[in-house]
Amino acid sequence: MNKKLSIVATSLVTTSILLAACGSNGDTNSNSNGKEKVMLSLWHNYTGDDQRAQTMRAIIEQYQKDHPEVELDVQAIPPDGYRTRLKTVAAANEMPDLFVMWPGVMTKEFQSGNLLQPINELLDSKKEWKDGFLPGSFDGFSIGEDIFSAPIALSPTSILYYNKSILEENGLQPPKTWDELMNAVTVLKEKKITPIALGNKAAWLAQSSIFSSLADRVTGTEWFLKAAAQDGAKFTDPEFVEALTYLQDLGKAGAFQDGFNSIDNTQMEQYFAQGKAAMMIDGGWALTNLAASASKETLEQMGATVLPSIPGGKGDPNTISGVVGTGIGMSSKVKDAKKQAAYDLMYAMAGPDAQKRVLESNQLVSYKVDLDKTKVTPIFAEVYDLVNSVTTTPVYDGVMSSAVADELNNGLQDLLMGGKPEEIAKKVQAAQEKEAK
Amino acid sequence: MTSTVRTRRFIVIGLLPALLLFSFFVIIPIIWSAYYGFFDWKGIGTAKFIGFDNYSEIIHDEVFWRSLKNNMLVVAASVFGQVPIALVLALLLLKNSWIHKFIRTAVFMPMVLSSVVVGIIWGYIYHPEIGILNFLLDSLGLESWKRQWLGDPAVSMYSLMVPIIWNYIGPYLIMFIAALHNIPSEMDDAAKIDGAKGSRKLFSLTLPLIWDTIKVAVVLCISGSLKSFDLIYIMTGGGPAHSTELLASYMYNNTFAIYRFGYGSAVSTAIIIISLFLIAGSQYLMKSKNR
Repeated sequence: MNKKLSIVATSLVTTSILLAACGSNGDTNSNSNGKEKVMLSLWHNYTGDDQRAQTMRAIIEQYQKDHPEVELDVQAIPPDGYRTRLKTVAAANEMPDLFVMWPGVMTKEFQSGNLLQPINELLDSKKEWKDGFLPGSFDGFSIGEDIFSAPIALSPTSILYYNKSILEENGLQPPKTWDELMNAVTVLKEKKITPIALGNKAAWLAQSSIFSSLADRVTGTEWFLKAAAQDGAKFTDPEFVEALTYLQDLGKAGAFQDGFNSIDNTQMEQYFAQGKAAMMIDGGWALTNLAASASKETLEQMGATVLPSIPGGKGDPNTISGVVGTGIGMSSKVKDAKKQAAYDLMYAMAGPDAQKRVLESNQLVSYKVDLDKTKVTPIFAEVYDLVNSVTTTPVYDGVMSSAVADELNNGLQDLLMGGKPEEIAKKVQAAQEKEAK
Repeated sequence: MTSTVRTRRFIVIGLLPALLLFSFFVIIPIIWSAYYGFFDWKGIGTAKFIGFDNYSEIIHDEVFWRSLKNNMLVVAASVFGQVPIALVLALLLLKNSWIHKFIRTAVFMPMVLSSVVVGIIWGYIYHPEIGILNFLLDSLGLESWKRQWLGDPAVSMYSLMVPIIWNYIGPYLIMFIAALHNIPSEMDDAAKIDGAKGSRKLFSLTLPLIWDTIKVAVVLCISGSLKSFDLIYIMTGGGPAHSTELLASYMYNNTFAIYRFGYGSAVSTAIIIISLFLIAGSQYLMKSKNR
């Protein structure tokens, strides 16, 4: 008897532990009046201490205050792990109701997994808001007629930042042509000043910031889009190899400081902000970091321009590679009362007011806003003017699938360590062919 | 009911919870992962069955072989670095005086640090611009020895081994000290009577008596270093250009950086098979040595 009891007890304990580990909570909830509260989950990556993240958090808090009938379940996930977390719940088909997502490849993947629903209804109901976006803003978020999100950021990826005083002291001008750039490298090198700061540990930087624009100057945008679609152009074509060779020449001339493959993007920005390098090729995201880490005097010393033109290049030199930034996506499972609440929150986070506040937090947006230049740093105002005066070209990893982009990223690291351009081109082409299968 | 049957039944019931948990969280995922390895799956959307394509791609991927080679280097560095150093230290630090205790604590210290912290500390030691190591070489007049410790593929793998060895000596040291304390003092007395001293005593008495512990240490060491990921992930991320990729980081990058879940699963299955072979092999080798 006693033995049987112990058997029953043991198995009870075991099963209850297992059940507790596997169980999950339901997500309906009602408040004391008996009226159903709307539960809305939101995932975002605005966890940092920078102004943009603070602004976005303030907007979310304000929404919660204004809408007591909605119960927000907010998960703030640090940017580094955010994509992975989101992809993991996507794989398990357990998306939150609203989430920060990227245009291009991610939107396509989510849409093909039936995880998203279009927001055309919301956009069409607020015509003025929709028309306020810069041309092409919805391209990365659209599939056919369906628009899945509205961008809250604009990310030009390749801006040539320079330190005015270092250039002046050495009798140099911000380089407009490739020869001027190479000359600047030689002059600065002789004076033992790092010409261009680079932090390529994470491998995407050289691709996204330097190569996307540099290659566009050489090959032209049309060629790249063709090659990415494997439609009449290949990455083994001579123009692509030539683009790789240009980058390698820059590396060989000693343009980058020692150990650029083992420092990261943030360290590189600090290196430039401390006045240790004359130039830096970086994206619009650098602006918030620069505003946080450089002194006022140094910030005034900074200038920004486009990458120099390439002799005989097919691309327009007055361009910057860039993508629209993240927007808020909505899960396909959101319905009824929840949907209205979700629309309201989305509008609060991406509407005209939010866009203005984000811009004033030193973050470029893809929306027409008059910038009050007293509210931002001088370098931000300069980049804002620059971005509005050039056209945008595609970024390599915004168009390529992640597997091909990874091959190119590693290839560029290899290239800057002396790898052969032809062989890297071959590998990228092979990866692209495999993807197209 | 005889008493042996009753005891046996009790043992089964007592083991059941642990066994269930183990199979739920270890065995079943391994089988699932091997199963996913047969699919072309991006993590989202439908998975396409492709048979052994992933596995044959692994065999043909040079990056996989480079990761395997790097991983073998790490295994070798751990087995021939961590274990002997820990053993020598254990023999030297056997006494319980405060200085011995202090050194023991110091050697164990890195073990309680999070590997992220260790990775960042060593990242700064090796830093190309502000690194202590290059600074030290400079001030000793050894400029020609300066390297880009983590950025130059010719040395980066070896630079990574130093923190790996340094980080994990601690637990083996503790294991060896415990084993040495377990040697009965009669053995010591007997050795004294027989006149065995110094190295003679070490090789004929001490080492054979703790041989089992050494075997356990080597197995732990091999399985630990096949799993090693965190330090490398923090310090180089497997780069530049895959030059410091290990099996685990190769698997991680394929699964979570470029979202080839099917292929990543196939790689983890390959890792399990390789680990089993290595451990079986090392067990076999050490067994024959014992005879």
